[in-house]
Amino acid sequence: MDWRQLWEICSAPDNVPIVGLIPLLAFYIYLAVKQARANDQLIEQLEADPAMAKTHHRKTWPFKPGWQKEVHVWPFLLRIEFLAAIIITIILMVWSITLNAPLEEPANPNLTMNPAKAPWYFLGLQEMLVYFDPWIAGVVMPTLIIIGLMVIPYIDTNPLGSGYYTWKQRKFSISTFLFGFIILWVAMIIIGTFIRGPGWQWFWPGQTWDHNRLIYEVNRDLPDIFGITSNLGKAIFGAIVVGGYYLVGGGAVYSLFRRRMGKDFSRMSLLQFSIMQFLLLTMVALPLKMGLRLLWHIKYVWITPWFNI
Amino acid sequence: MPEKPIPEHDPITGKSFAIHYVVATIILIATLFWALYDEAWGQRPWKAFQDQWKNRYSAFLDTAKSKSSKSEQSVEQDPQYAALKQDYQKAYQDSKAQADEARRKLDDASARLLAVQSVFTDRRAYVNALTYELETSGSASAKASKQKEIDKYKAEQATVEFPDGTKKKFTFPQLEETYNEIRDERTKLSLDLGDVLKPVTAAKAKMDEYISDHMVDLTPQQIQGLKKRATEWDPAIVQINVAEANIVDRCESCHMNTREPLKVTAAAMTEKGAKQPDEYAQAFASHAQPELLQIHDPEKFGCSPCHQGNGRATTSIEKAHGNYEHWLWPLYPKENSEAGCQSCHSADMVLASGDVQWQTINNGKDLFRQRGCMGCHRYEGYDKEPEDLNFVGQQIKQIETQKKENVKNTADLMKQADAAESNDVANKLNTQAVDLRVANSKLDARLQQLDFQSHSLMQDQKKVGPNLKDARLKLNKNWIPVWLKKPSDFRPTTKMPNFRLTDHQIQAISAYIWQTGFTDVLPKHKPGNAAHGKELFEGRGCMACHSIGEGDQMQGGTFAANLTRVGEKANYDYLVRWIHNARQRTRPYCPYEKKDIGPEDYAKKNLPYVFDLDHSKCPNDGHELQVQNMTVMPSLRLSPEDAEDIATYLMSQKKQEPSSYPEAAFMDDPSLKEEGKKWVRFYGCGGCHEISGMEDEGRIGTELTYEGSKPIERLDFALFTEVAQRGGKGAEPIKDKEDLARLPDGPAKEPWYDHKGFFEHKLAEPNVYDQGKVKTETEALRMPNLHLTKEQVLDLTTFLMGSQETSLPQSYQYKPGDARHDIQEGWWVVKKYNCMGCHQFIPGQQTILMGLKQYQDAQEQLPPKLLTEGARVDPEWLRKFLSNPALSTTDTNRNGVRPYLKVRMPTFSFSDNELRKLVRFFEALSQQPLPYIPQQMPTLTAKESDMARSLFSSTAAPCLKCHATGDPGHDKIATAPNFLLAKERLKPDWVERWITDPQAISPGTSMPSGLFKQQNSQWVFAGPTPPTFNGFEGDHRKLLTDYIFQLTAEEQRRVASSMPRAKAAVQPSSNRKHAALESHHTAGGGSR
Repeated sequence: MDWRQLWEICSAPDNVPIVGLIPLLAFYIYLAVKQARANDQLIEQLEADPAMAKTHHRKTWPFKPGWQKEVHVWPFLLRIEFLAAIIITIILMVWSITLNAPLEEPANPNLTMNPAKAPWYFLGLQEMLVYFDPWIAGVVMPTLIIIGLMVIPYIDTNPLGSGYYTWKQRKFSISTFLFGFIILWVAMIIIGTFIRGPGWQWFWPGQTWDHNRLIYEVNRDLPDIFGITSNLGKAIFGAIVVGGYYLVGGGAVYSLFRRRMGKDFSRMSLLQFSIMQFLLLTMVALPLKMGLRLLWHIKYVWITPWFNI
Repeated sequence: MPEKPIPEHDPITGKSFAIHYVVATIILIATLFWALYDEAWGQRPWKAFQDQWKNRYSAFLDTAKSKSSKSEQSVEQDPQYAALKQDYQKAYQDSKAQADEARRKLDDASARLLAVQSVFTDRRAYVNALTYELETSGSASAKASKQKEIDKYKAEQATVEFPDGTKKKFTFPQLEETYNEIRDERTKLSLDLGDVLKPVTAAKAKMDEYISDHMVDLTPQQIQGLKKRATEWDPAIVQINVAEANIVDRCESCHMNTREPLKVTAAAMTEKGAKQPDEYAQAFASHAQPELLQIHDPEKFGCSPCHQGNGRATTSIEKAHGNYEHWLWPLYPKENSEAGCQSCHSADMVLASGDVQWQTINNGKDLFRQRGCMGCHRYEGYDKEPEDLNFVGQQIKQIETQKKENVKNTADLMKQADAAESNDVANKLNTQAVDLRVANSKLDARLQQLDFQSHSLMQDQKKVGPNLKDARLKLNKNWIPVWLKKPSDFRPTTKMPNFRLTDHQIQAISAYIWQTGFTDVLPKHKPGNAAHGKELFEGRGCMACHSIGEGDQMQGGTFAANLTRVGEKANYDYLVRWIHNARQRTRPYCPYEKKDIGPEDYAKKNLPYVFDLDHSKCPNDGHELQVQNMTVMPSLRLSPEDAEDIATYLMSQKKQEPSSYPEAAFMDDPSLKEEGKKWVRFYGCGGCHEISGMEDEGRIGTELTYEGSKPIERLDFALFTEVAQRGGKGAEPIKDKEDLARLPDGPAKEPWYDHKGFFEHKLAEPNVYDQGKVKTETEALRMPNLHLTKEQVLDLTTFLMGSQETSLPQSYQYKPGDARHDIQEGWWVVKKYNCMGCHQFIPGQQTILMGLKQYQDAQEQLPPKLLTEGARVDPEWLRKFLSNPALSTTDTNRNGVRPYLKVRMPTFSFSDNELRKLVRFFEALSQQPLPYIPQQMPTLTAKESDMARSLFSSTAAPCLKCHATGDPGHDKIATAPNFLLAKERLKPDWVERWITDPQAISPGTSMPSGLFKQQNSQWVFAGPTPPTFNGFEGDHRKLLTDYIFQLTAEEQRRVASSMPRAKAAVQPSSNRKHAALESHHTAGGGSR
C-alpha cells in the first residue's frame, strides 16, 4: 500500500473538493434516507388511520396546541440560511487563505503533462472518453444529460413527494437519480481522480503511479469475437445488437412499469413514456459499455464508417 | 411514530439561534483579521526580513563605525598624510591675512546689499503691480492716469538705512542702480575670496582623497549615511526591472545587503547569543564576490540570469528560490553557482578576471574536453573540426561530380558540333563547350580553396585517445584484452573509461582492433641509456603533461597519460618514433577515398613515399591527406639518441613483465572481426580513437548543449523515479563503494529528482539507471564509467547544469567583437595544448612544473612566464617562433630563445589558423593594439655606440655574463636570451621598461632591478658611469636599448672576448644567479 501516493492525490489542491464531496455525499444520503424512512412510516400510519391525518399538518409530528399552524419563511427559514451563508463564507475564506491556486509551469507544447486531467468536476466526462468516441462522449452524451435534466418536469407524472422526503412514493425517481448522480457522475469522477494515473492507466488506490509501468491490454470489437470481418457485416451486426438492446430493454421497462408502477404508467402519455424509456436505457447503457470494456476488453459494439459505439 | 418524544415547544419557532450567530460571527471576524494579516504580512514575508535587517544592520554599523574611525586614525598617522596636512596648514597660513580681509569686505557688501534689497524688492513689487493694472486697463485715459501714478511713485524718495547707521534717500531708478552695483561688487568679492582660498581647498581635497584611498573600510561619514538609510528604511519591495531582457528581480527585498559597499558576512548579521546564523543572517550577507558585480552591473543583469530562481516571487523563500515542483529554473545550489556563468559565457574556455579564476566551471569545461565527452556528445563550440571537415568533404565531392559531368558534357557538345549541319549551330555548341570548360576551371579554384581549408582543419583536428590503426605496431598484443577489462585497474588516472564489457565483447573488440591495424615494419632501434633517459624525461618538460608514479607518489601533470606501467604495454621501436615525433603517421589517410594510402599508391604515380605537412596531397586524387597523428603531443625536437634514451627509460617502467600477460590467441581469429566491428561501432570508440573503418562514424551520445534545460521528464530516472522524488531511506541507488565515493554530497538522503541529482548519479555511475532493468547487451546504457573524483563530478555537473537555452536576449551573450574576442578564442588553443602546464598566463596561476621537486631550488630553470608576452615581443616574430621554436631549420635540437633552459619549448605544428589565434591572443592579453607597427630605431653615432658599449660591458652591468652569446662554451652557463634576437623579437618600449625594473614585470626573474635611477626626468645608470659619459645629457636607458637593437654578431663577439669571461665560467651553476645579483648589488650601490 503506497500511502504516500494516496496522500499526494488527496492533498493536491485540485482534489480538495472531491475529497470533501465523498463524506458529504454519504452524510446527506444518510440524512435523506433517515427522514424518508420516518416519513414513510408516518404515511403508512396515516393511510391506515384517516382520522389521524386531520391532526397532522407537519408531516412527522402530530399537531400540538400552541404551535403555529404555518411557519413563515422570514424569519424562520432565512435565519438558518443566513447562518449557513456565514459558515460558508468562513469556509471559503479559510480555504482561500490556506490553499493557493494550483498553478503550474508554463505550458510546453512539446511536453504535455501525464496524466493530463480536466478540472475535477469534468473528470466524469473525461472518463467517458475511454469508452466512447470523442464526439459521442464529448458532445452527444453531455447534450443528452442536459436534455434529460430539462425534460424531468415534463415526464415526471408522479404528484407525490413534493416538500418532504419519501422513498415509498418516489422509488423510481429516487433510484434513477441515485443511479445517475452517484454511479454515472460521482463515481466516474472518483475513478478519474483516484484511479486514473499516468497513461490514463487503471491504478488501484494505493498503487504507485509509475510512469514507466507497462501493461498488456488488447481491445477487440464485439463483431471480431463473432468472427465478422466485412465492414457491412459489422455495421449490420452492430445495428442489430444495439437495436436489440433497446428493444429488449424497452420491453423490460414496459413490463416493469406495467407490473410495479401501474399508477404512474397510466398517467403517462406515449410520448412521455417513450422519451423516459429512451433516456433510461441510454443511461443504463453507459455502465454496461464500461463493463464490457473493463472486464472483457471490448472496444466497440457497433462499427460504421461514420460512428462507432 | 418517531422514536424521539415530541418536544413541548415548537422546535421551529421556539428555537433560538443567538449562540450560533455569536459563535459564527466571532469566527467570521477572526477570519477576517486573519485574512488582513495574511495580506499584509503572511503573503509578504520580506517585510519580516526588512524589519530584522533594520535592527541587525544598524547594530552592525554601530560596531563597524568604531572600527573604521580607528582605521582612519591609523591612516592619519602616515607620514605621507602628515606631509599633506602640513601642506594644507601652510597654505592656510599663507592665505589667512588676505582671506580674512576678503571675507570682511564680502560680509560688508552682503550687509549693504541686504539693506538695499529689502527696500528695493518692496518698491519693485508695487511698481510691477501698477504696471499690470496699466496693461490691463481698457481706455487710453485710464492708461494715462495709471502711467502718471507710476511715474509719481517712482519719483518718490525712499529711505534706506545702511548697516553703519547712515540713512540715504533714493528714487526708484536710483535704488535699482544702487542695488545692481552692490550686487556686482559682492559677486566680484566672493570670486576674489575663492582665488585666495584656491591653494587651501586643493590641499584639503588632496588630504581627503588620501584618506578615502587608504581607508580599509568606509569613512565614518559614509557609515553614518548607511546607518541613516537603514534606520529610516520603510518596508518596500526592492526590485530590478530590465524590460528588454524581461528581468524582474525582487531578490533584494530580502537580500538587503547584496550591494552594500562594505563586506557583510552572515556571521556578522547573526543575533547575539545565537550559535548558528539563522535564515535572516544568511539572507543579509553581502555578495560573496563583489568584483563580479562590478563587471555585471545588477541594474542590467539582475540576479536570476546568473543564479536562477523565481525573481518575481515574494511569498516565501521556496517560491522565490524557485525550489518547487513547477518552477523550471530553481536556484543553483551554492556549490554549483558557477553554472550561471555558462548561460552567457559558453563561448569562453577560461573564465578569469585579473588573478581570479572561476575554477569550478573552468574545470568543468576542461574535463568535458579532456575526458573526450565530446567524442560521443555534441556540444556547440567543442571539437568543431570533424563537422567542418565533413562539410568541406561533402562540398569537394559535389564539385568533383559536377566537374566530371561537365567534362562529359563538353566532349558530347564537341562531338555534336563536329556533326552539326550548319556553322552557326557548330559555333553555338562550341561556345557552350568552352563555357563549361571555364566553369570547370572556376570549380578547380574553389576546390583549391576547400583543400586549403581542409588542410588547416585536419591539422587542428585532434582525438582524445591514441590512433588505434597503430595498435599492432605499438602495443603488447596480450595486454589489450586485460586493459579493456577495466582500464583504471591498469592505470587509475587514465582518461580511458570503463565500458563494462563482457569477456566476449572484449575478445571481439580486441580482435577487430588487432586485425585492422597497420602491419608496416618499423625501423629497429638499439637500446638506449635509461639513466640519461630519466634525466631527459624529468628535464625536458615531459612531466608538464605526463605523470609518473601512482597514488601519493604521483609526480607530474594529469593532462596526458600516467606512464608508470608503460613498459608493460608498449613496443620499444614504436615508442622511440612516438617520442621523437608523436605526430608521425604510419600511413596517411585520404578522407576523399576513405582509405589509408600506402607506398603502392605513391608508386603507381611514380611519386616518392613522402608525406608531411608540406606534402599532403593524395597521389590518387590530389585532395588533402591526414598526414599527422591526431594527437596534441608535440615534437620536442629530440635527437634520435635522446628519444631512444627516453624510450628505454619508459620501457623500464613496469610492475610486471610484458611476457607475463596470458596469451590472447583469439585476436587473430578472423571470425571475431565482424562482431568486433559491431561493438566498436556500438560503443562509439571512434569518438576518441582513430580506428580503421570508423573514420566517419557520428557521435553516439545525445547532444548536451542544452542538457541543463531539458525537461526533467525527459531525463530517464528509470526505476528510481519514485525513489528520487521521495528521498528518505533507500533514496541512494548506487551500491558500489567506489562509485558512491564519487558523489559530491555523499549518498543521497534528500529527494534528488532534479538535474543536479540526475547528472551527479549519471557521472558517478553511468549505468545506475539500468539497475533492476532487464535489458539486452545492445539496449543497455552505453555511457562508460569515467572514474571521476568527487570534485570532477561536481565540476562537470555544474557545467551541465549551466548548459541551458537562455531566455536572455542575444546582446547578453558574451560575444565581444574587439580584442576580448581574441582572448576568448586564444584560450581554446592554449587549453587544447596544455600551455598552462609550463607557462603562467594568469597572475598567481600555478603551472605543473612549478609544483615539481626539481624546480623547487631552480626557479630560473622554469619556462618563462607569459603574463606580458604580447607587450614584450613583436607579433610577427612570435608567429615565427611558435611555428618553429628552434628558430632554425637545421639546428633544431635546442631552444631558439633560451638555450640555457633544460626544459624544451616543443614544436606543436600549429595550423595557420591556430597560430593567428595565439598571436592575437597574446597581443590582446597585454592590451597591445593591432596591427603592430615597429618603431624606427635611431642609428647611433660612433661616440654613442662607444658609450653604450662601455655601459653594456661595464663591470657593474656585465650583460653578457648571463645572456647567451652563441658561444657554446658560454651558453652552457647562460641564464638569459641572446641579444641578437632582440632586434627582431622585442618591442623597444618594453625593453626600456624591462631593464628599468624587471622584478615588476616578472617577479622572481634573475635579471637584476635597479640598474637605472631617475635623475631630472632622465634615467641614468645607477652604477659608476664610465668616463666616456662625462658631459652626456641624454637618457642612458634609451641609449642602451638602442644599442641592443643595433647589436651585431660581430660586435657581440668583440665585446664578449674583451670581457673577463673566465670568472663567470668558473662559477658553479647553482650559485650563478646569486652571484650575478651580488655583483650587481655591489656595483649598483644596493639600490635594488
